[in-house]
Amino acid sequence: MRLPGPAVAVALLVLAATGTAALFGGLLVPDATAQDLTTGITFPGPGHPLGTDELGRDVLRLLVAGASTAVLGALAVSAGSMLTGNLIGLPAGYLGGRADALAMRWADLMLSIPALLVAVVVAGVMGGGYWLAILVLIVLFAPTDARVVRGAVLEQRSRAYVEAARLQNLTSWRIMTRHVWPNILPVALANAFLNFAYALVSLASLSFLGLGVAAGSPDWGRTLSDNKGQLFANPWAAVAPGLAIIITAAAVTVVGDWLQERAERRRLAR
Amino acid sequence: MSAGFLARRALGTLAVLAILSVGVFGLLYLAPGSVERTLLGTRPASPEALEAIRARYHLDEPVVTRYLRWLGGVLQGDFGTSIRTGMSVTDAIGSRLPLTLQLTAYGTLLAVLLGLPLGIVGAFRKGRAVDRAASVTAVAGMSAPPFAAGLVLLMAFAVHLPWFPVYGAGEGFGGRLLHLTLPALALAIGAAGLLVRFTRTALVRELDKDYIVFARARGLPPLRVAGYALRNALIPILTAVGLIVTSTLAGTVLIEVTFALPGLGSLLVDSVTFKDMPVVQALALLLTLLISLVNLLVDVAYTVADPRVRFGEDTR
Amino acid sequence: MSIGETKPLIDVRGLRVGRAADGRTLLSDVSFAVEAGRSLAIVGESGSGKSLTVRATLGLLPAGLVAQGDVTLAGRPVSRDPKALRALRGGTVSLLLQDPFTLLNPLRKVGKQIADGLARGKRTPAEIARRLAEVGLSADVAERRPYELSGGMRQRVGLACALAGDPTILIADEPTTALDVTTQAEVLDLIRRVQRERGMAFVLITHDLRVAFSMSDDVLVLYAGRTAETGPAAAVRAAPRHPYTRALLAAEPPLDRRLTVIPSIPGTVPAHDAVLGRCGFADRCALAGDACRDGTPEPRPAGPGRTSACVRADVLAATAPAEPETAPEPEPAEGSGPALLEISGLIRTFRGAKRPALAGIDLRVGPGEAVGIVGESGSGKTTLARCVVGLERPDGGAITFDGTSYGDLRALPKGERARVLRGVQMVFQDPYSSLNPVRSVGAVLAEALRAAGRDGGKAEVAALLDLVGLRPDVAGRPPAGMSGGERQRVAIARAVAGRPRLLICDESVSALDVSVQAQILDLLADLRSSLSMALLFITHDLAVVRQITDRVYVLASGHCRESGPTAQILDSPTDPYTRALLASVPIPRP
Repeated sequence: MRLPGPAVAVALLVLAATGTAALFGGLLVPDATAQDLTTGITFPGPGHPLGTDELGRDVLRLLVAGASTAVLGALAVSAGSMLTGNLIGLPAGYLGGRADALAMRWADLMLSIPALLVAVVVAGVMGGGYWLAILVLIVLFAPTDARVVRGAVLEQRSRAYVEAARLQNLTSWRIMTRHVWPNILPVALANAFLNFAYALVSLASLSFLGLGVAAGSPDWGRTLSDNKGQLFANPWAAVAPGLAIIITAAAVTVVGDWLQERAERRRLAR
Repeated sequence: MSAGFLARRALGTLAVLAILSVGVFGLLYLAPGSVERTLLGTRPASPEALEAIRARYHLDEPVVTRYLRWLGGVLQGDFGTSIRTGMSVTDAIGSRLPLTLQLTAYGTLLAVLLGLPLGIVGAFRKGRAVDRAASVTAVAGMSAPPFAAGLVLLMAFAVHLPWFPVYGAGEGFGGRLLHLTLPALALAIGAAGLLVRFTRTALVRELDKDYIVFARARGLPPLRVAGYALRNALIPILTAVGLIVTSTLAGTVLIEVTFALPGLGSLLVDSVTFKDMPVVQALALLLTLLISLVNLLVDVAYTVADPRVRFGEDTR
Repeated sequence: MSIGETKPLIDVRGLRVGRAADGRTLLSDVSFAVEAGRSLAIVGESGSGKSLTVRATLGLLPAGLVAQGDVTLAGRPVSRDPKALRALRGGTVSLLLQDPFTLLNPLRKVGKQIADGLARGKRTPAEIARRLAEVGLSADVAERRPYELSGGMRQRVGLACALAGDPTILIADEPTTALDVTTQAEVLDLIRRVQRERGMAFVLITHDLRVAFSMSDDVLVLYAGRTAETGPAAAVRAAPRHPYTRALLAAEPPLDRRLTVIPSIPGTVPAHDAVLGRCGFADRCALAGDACRDGTPEPRPAGPGRTSACVRADVLAATAPAEPETAPEPEPAEGSGPALLEISGLIRTFRGAKRPALAGIDLRVGPGEAVGIVGESGSGKTTLARCVVGLERPDGGAITFDGTSYGDLRALPKGERARVLRGVQMVFQDPYSSLNPVRSVGAVLAEALRAAGRDGGKAEVAALLDLVGLRPDVAGRPPAGMSGGERQRVAIARAVAGRPRLLICDESVSALDVSVQAQILDLLADLRSSLSMALLFITHDLAVVRQITDRVYVLASGHCRESGPTAQILDSPTDPYTRALLASVPIPRP
């Protein structure tokens, strides 16, 4: 999808800012979770650009501190599912046959059950928790990745360069890893970016339902959930983390689209 | 429509349901914490009280026996009673199902009304300002989790501008429509973004094809040429619509919690945290069944849209 | 373009196409005119700008390209009036495209697609039936959808669609390139007949000189986005007034004799804006002098109704082209000694296919022998080759290569399989997909050398590149940016890295331009003698098979129709199918 150049620049800036907050948030705002019950919840004002929450914590500082769980978790999910997807999709697509049929039936099964609902059930029953949520999302995202990778491998497999490699009596492993994989990597990466955005949203959703990080933790989804009842007292306490999620996910999608478009152009130019 | 195809699909769905029910059952079995503790809550756990609960819910039996007992009941149409409320599961779900279905239908309708035209306009005006605006809007929409979109909508149109009610499901058709508008819109925003992208990509791909150049070269009117492209883009668009119905259905979980609506989603969240096994099982099966049904409808629509697709052939 | 009394129906003056984004020019100073009832062929290799010319004329350029120049259609100037041009499309001018498999709306019934182009009052079943009859199809085809029709039928439907608005000008862009030879002949006949009956002005775009001369009154030869030569077809064929035309004609392999060396044109077609301000052909031209690189040569009169953009056209006219040396027909080597490759009763049926792709084929290749397999699509020729190298698994029959017998090569023990694959290698058809886009040429060749048990060092790679006529610095480059001919040389180098005893070429020159095709054919002939390997050459092109093979097998629908020495089969075929194939080769109009 074509997006204007400035949009990509803005998106990269947003990602740089979010990334900084995610990596160094603890150093930047070490006391973000310090409570100040005498202040309580307030509208935005001097000293508190986005106001404070019920516990008197500065919303802006909470946002900076919350970037880490929100972003790094999504990163773990997209990287994990990309890895799993490649490990399954590459041999399935290249070798075909029974292994492929099995892998694809598994993907069909996984995709015929609603991902978010399964995540809610599993995380809920197991008592929630950040790493559990990440693990569940990896398991749920991997089938899509496997499908995408397999499709790309199938497209490459019939090309003459792969057949030429087979005629050199190279092992299937070598052809898969050295010849085919570099050619499908752009596809897998672009998909990982989309997954990142989706994982960010899904993790926040689980936190929102109380199934992700522990209550009171500085996480965007959690902060939003903790303050959703305070719309009249300080709406920003809930809306600001919501906007943070939306803006970050949009930025990741924009960059992912841009990468995909570049890969596509290069593919057409051969 | 071939009977063999339907039979195969039904068998496939049954298999998914069977695997899912075993999975959910196993999960509840493995879950930390015990049901009897949860049930007793803060009351002191006397051995007698624990024993009574165990006997009542057959907790002392091996897990396989418990599963078979549950399955036997389900096959006779008895989904058991809720541990949390003591209500019959069928009643609990039946009373909440209509709201969730209405919300899903309303949300899907809004998503199609918003997303389809925007995607079509974007494709026909590729690269122009209106296309870029549509693309950016779509990305923003897709990136908005329904609950976050819901909160922003609440703040804007219920708190700041008091046009819509903040909470509740509303009475009568008009009241229901008014109360569900913001929740449905929150659901539709993400789905519409997805639909804009799918529609635009599919149409752009068709518009680049030889038969469009040929149609223009032999002087067919622009509307007819557009019709050619739209007709051929229908299959991927149908796929996208199927996808947004299911994602909207799943999204109701978040939206019902956000807007405090008494639907299946909020029931699921409450039951899950309470480890209310009969309700969770029944809900998981019902939602999966609904999604299988949507996928089946999409597949049937394929065969109408494209005569090359025959039942049972892989269309992906 | 002959001087006539009537005004031309299509008149293009000074056409120029550029890219808006970077200001590059792709085509300039192209002019032509065609009167009612006359035909013009625009001939050129890939990159010559022939398709851009028609697209620009009809206002159908892809997004990002802009055209300048004067276009007059049926007396109306349209170049500055896109709306007027749009109104003329269909009713005055119509275009037929190359690929019959993509030019029709895949979901719409054929009859409706034709009706969409008919005038409002004419959309009746009777009229549609009449239109189908005009292109040689029965009325019941109207109820079918494109995917239910063969390629030839689809192209006929395409013609009926293009003619639905009763245009007075028909433009056809490579209308038969995607079709089999026999189908091509039928469709060309049909187009010619319809054009004559309707008295249309006809513009044919083609890369195929034979098709051009067989179809049209006049020709226009394009080179690197500029007009090289124009004139009546017969005159241009008899005595070209531009060195490019002459070289192109010479590079076309003859059907009736075998040449020692096919005269090829060195190098490749340059980009239009890489040769601004000089003759674009100068770097590849034997006649070129300083004057050729000093200013762009303008087309100037060169005989009745002819122009040439060569400053040395007079010199050219005075010198007769060197008659290429005819090679003696090779002695049939069949039966002498043990065979290198022996195939007996090979059978392969694809899943879901109605008939077998190979229905029991016997074939033999002696050591050092060049054997051809000729057939149309669906004849089984490619499947046969793929079975030999183990890319396909035969259902029955046996293959013996150099003493090793197998059905499925993949089922052989590792060592034996490696031994077979060192002895037999293959060059594929598409030079673009046969090189891995992410690996450099050097890496590809080093890997092939190592697979053949060599060390694959820099010196060996350089020697291998030299063997196929490429410079050693090519090793560091990725395939992107290389021309089709260069890529095919790399693919050949990869295949001969281990000095195989048999090289299989599967349509290895059919995706290349004529001038490059001659280079590659010459290279293969050289390699065959210098490496003393046998060739199994698979092609649909009878003239090519004549040049490079000693013996030939004619395949159709999985059966072998005829086999024997190439000269004998092509000069005096006994099988009716072979005769039909030979009769389908386009012949120039008298």
